[in-house]
Amino acid sequence: MPRPEIDQITFTVDGREVEAPAGTMLADAAKLGDVDIPVFCYEPKLGAPVGACRMCLVEIEGIPKLQTACSTPVRDGMVVDTQNPRVKAAQESVVEFLLLNHPLDCPVCDKGGECPLQDISFGWGRGESRFVEPKRHFQKPVELSPLIAIDRERCILCYRCVRFSQEVSEDYQLVLHERGADTFVGTFDGHPYVAPFSGNIMELCPVGALTSQAYRFRARPWDIEQSGSVCTLCPGQCNVSYTVRDDRVVRVLNRQNDDVDDGWLCDRGRFAYQSTYVDERVQGPMVRENGRLVPSSWDRALSTAVDIIDAADGRVGALAGGGSSNEDGWLLRRLMTEVVGSRDFDSRPAGVLSAGLQAALDAPEAQATVADLEWAHAVLVLDTEPVDDMPVLDLRLRKGVRRNGVRLAVATSRPSALDPNAELSVRFAPGAGEAFVCALDAAVGGVGDVAGLAAAAGADREAVEALGRMLREAGEDVVVVWGERLTHAADPEVGANAARALLKASGRLGLLDGRRGAGLLQVPTGMNARGLRELGVLPNVGPGYSEPAQVGRSSREIAVAAAAGEVRALHLLHVDPVASYPDRALWEAGLAAATGVVAHASFLTEGVLEHADVVFPSEAGAEKEGTVTHPDGRLQRLRPAVGKPEGTLPTWQVLSHLITALGGRATALTSMMITSEIAEAVPFYAGITHDEIGGFGIRWQEREASDAFPAGDSGPFSLVAPVAAASPNGALRLGSFRSVWSSPEVAHAPALKFLAPKQRAELNPDDAADRGIRHGQRVTVTADGTSVSATAHLRTASPRGSVFLETGLGDQSASALQSTEATVPSMVTVESA
Amino acid sequence: MTWNPDSDVVEVARGPEPGGLGGAYRVFGETLRGLKTSFMRVVEGTHTVEYPEEKIPVYPRWRGRHKLHKFEDTGLEKCVGCSLCAAACPADCIRVVAAENTDENRVSGGERYAAVYEINMSRCIFCGYCEIACPFDAITMGSDFELADYNRSDLIFTKEMLLAEPMVRTPLRAEGE
Ligand code: SF4
Ligand code: SF4
Ligand code: SF4
Ligand code: SF4
Ligand code: FES
Repeated sequence: MPRPEIDQITFTVDGREVEAPAGTMLADAAKLGDVDIPVFCYEPKLGAPVGACRMCLVEIEGIPKLQTACSTPVRDGMVVDTQNPRVKAAQESVVEFLLLNHPLDCPVCDKGGECPLQDISFGWGRGESRFVEPKRHFQKPVELSPLIAIDRERCILCYRCVRFSQEVSEDYQLVLHERGADTFVGTFDGHPYVAPFSGNIMELCPVGALTSQAYRFRARPWDIEQSGSVCTLCPGQCNVSYTVRDDRVVRVLNRQNDDVDDGWLCDRGRFAYQSTYVDERVQGPMVRENGRLVPSSWDRALSTAVDIIDAADGRVGALAGGGSSNEDGWLLRRLMTEVVGSRDFDSRPAGVLSAGLQAALDAPEAQATVADLEWAHAVLVLDTEPVDDMPVLDLRLRKGVRRNGVRLAVATSRPSALDPNAELSVRFAPGAGEAFVCALDAAVGGVGDVAGLAAAAGADREAVEALGRMLREAGEDVVVVWGERLTHAADPEVGANAARALLKASGRLGLLDGRRGAGLLQVPTGMNARGLRELGVLPNVGPGYSEPAQVGRSSREIAVAAAAGEVRALHLLHVDPVASYPDRALWEAGLAAATGVVAHASFLTEGVLEHADVVFPSEAGAEKEGTVTHPDGRLQRLRPAVGKPEGTLPTWQVLSHLITALGGRATALTSMMITSEIAEAVPFYAGITHDEIGGFGIRWQEREASDAFPAGDSGPFSLVAPVAAASPNGALRLGSFRSVWSSPEVAHAPALKFLAPKQRAELNPDDAADRGIRHGQRVTVTADGTSVSATAHLRTASPRGSVFLETGLGDQSASALQSTEATVPSMVTVESA
Repeated sequence: MTWNPDSDVVEVARGPEPGGLGGAYRVFGETLRGLKTSFMRVVEGTHTVEYPEEKIPVYPRWRGRHKLHKFEDTGLEKCVGCSLCAAACPADCIRVVAAENTDENRVSGGERYAAVYEINMSRCIFCGYCEIACPFDAITMGSDFELADYNRSDLIFTKEMLLAEPMVRTPLRAEGE
């Protein structure tokens, strides 16, 4: 459904003429005339109002009874009174009723000081109660989940939390039990409310009924300061506000930005701040001494790093992790190109795409925004699981489907959390993304051998055809949300073919000609993958997607070259390839063979712990300064909320130091100066400043400088026959996924630890039955003599012939089973342990 | 004296010329008059309070060094660490860090207690707002005003210091005194 056009109307509130968009609820429209109507249950983010609390009663001329302002849309010429004695009496009695059963234990209540109930009782209540009977009692406080405490006595039954669970995150866990005064919020059977977005209900609760266990009794509103920044834990880049007390982050709140996060956060972004203050965090520089990493002075660490890079004589490979800011990535690039003289650096975990293809995929004309997902006619989610890869996007997709009737299609190998919302779900064989996009292109165009291509992709032909039909017929606003891993095949030709097929199919759907509301939206594998790409932190792409004079090695080639001794030193910027890149064995070998490894890390993950010779501490999210680029091109600014540990240098200073120490041109003195350097180097970022980015970021596509975007490859794209998915033939295809809870920040945050994933093998029950495997049983998954043990997890939705394992779990990861030279995913056997 | 616009000479009334016998008499006479007052006070006895050996009792509503209170029956602290005193304090000299009571470690009556409670006496202006703000009468202003110290940091009073019964150094005026 395209965005509706909204007219302005005029109405009168308390004698003032106010202009408001037609259809706005009175409670919101009155604000435009500086009239405050108290509300409890009304929260526009939750969708349609329910009118549960009656706090917002107002008098409307011509309507005999008082009306709820939260659920009455304004009409032209409406005359509203919010002040007269009748309204006043109603407000006072609603407050009195709400307080009948309310314990008013504000001194011990965590909401005290920032409590809407306190404010509204003070502003609109009568100040005294006539209620003398005993109040209702519940046990308090109770654990709703390890993250959330619930105090049922304080609950005013506004339904906000239940509506969030039922209608926004759609985890359907929270319900209201019992009736009348006995009503209480809970989960079925008292199960803990564990869900990826559960933390949002604490922010929604207008009283102190739902409070954070992690923030419990930590501070009062007058003890703290709020500091806005951006979450750096996934490409979603939600806008957050850090709550700081005594120079420590004690809480993370959302900072609503409708173009990015819609005012929600996932629990990872909300609680992972705790990992900033754990002992395991790298607190200062370390160097390897007698085989062990020991703390060292900054001078020594810097000179060791300089020696390592110097000794490698230009044969240095560098990797920039997706979590690096634009500034960090830029300095790493300068270090490599200007000083070391090596072009072997990459910011992608795998795969290579030419500058032309990359520019075609990222062109402003082909770009869909996050907000477009809400209003598109149809959305295709292609080879990505939003809730794991970019959690906040999951909520946006659900919103579009639920509220605006967006037609959703999901095409993945692993069953998706969005399947129940999708009109159409198509499965293809793990790793056969390339073949699937080729089939999709054929189906959309109604040309070519759909049947053959679908078979190559291990997908159902009719489903692919139905998908093609649906996308073609849905309307002109189609958005394709595609996972970057589609182009991550070990063979670059395969990745390029997938990209071309995607472009070709998009071209057929008219997504590439600059129509607002339609286009492509990538879900990258790294938080700032787009920014790093645009700066040219890629082996074959220069700043601003220019063609570089010389092409270097991609990350996979760096690993191979390191293992063969051709790349001698490795520089790891916020990344541990052993832990998080595909081809674990290859990276183990590469790091072991390197003569020197310089790493910037927050935690000593396995690869860093075993192989790094120098470790520089990375800043935590709340300590970081710089800019990042959202997958839809929005430049956002990271502002440090707290100071770094005593004496610690920020990463950009370490990198500038290395540049000068190795004889490079002296560089920026502040992080902001690096941003200006970037603005000069990337033509379509020209002139961008921190001020212009501001609190909510700015999409470069909307600036004038976007005209400088280089022309990428334009069709016609010719496709080659894709690699066919191997037929299982008794074995199982190995698929992998990375869960939202798989990250060192989650593993180290005390509140989140319980969510840290354990390896599980997702299987179809029939496949399991063939092998005599029961749900919950321990199994070993073996490929080429390497095995990983896991718990069998039977899912009816899981396609036959495949098994899915998690990555990011050390030597028990799916990546341990992926063989080094494979172009098709490994075949594995699964047997009970 | 009025000003006469017709005349530009202003007459100023002056006292008698000093000097001479008359002058000497005036000086001597005044001195004697002063001495008479002094000697009359001598017989009245002393008025000086020999502080610090001797102290003036303070009135019951005097606002001196704070005290934190415990319940007499249970021995639990009255303060629940709500920070309302800190919010009310115009000098911003109270710092409260709350923590949760557990069954093993029950410090106060409610769910929370003050794990850290500090008042910086060198900043306190003894306005008593903290006492008024406290919903549990956990903090009251005492009578002690002798808070001088050699070190500023020693003037940050901790919870233990505030809970301890202060040394009785300042006499309190009795009812009707
Ligand atoms: S919810 Fe608000 S009004 Fe109720 S006890 Fe807590 S702070 Fe007080
Ligand atoms: S969705 Fe991503 S960016 Fe948003 S809070 Fe979660 S981890 Fe952070
Ligand atoms: S007496 Fe006044 S200044 Fe002193 S601690 Fe109490 S509120 Fe603060
Ligand atoms: S002294 Fe009173 S006001 Fe201050 S924290 Fe304790 S209970 Fe709250
Ligand atoms: S805010 Fe209108 S009924 Fe609750």
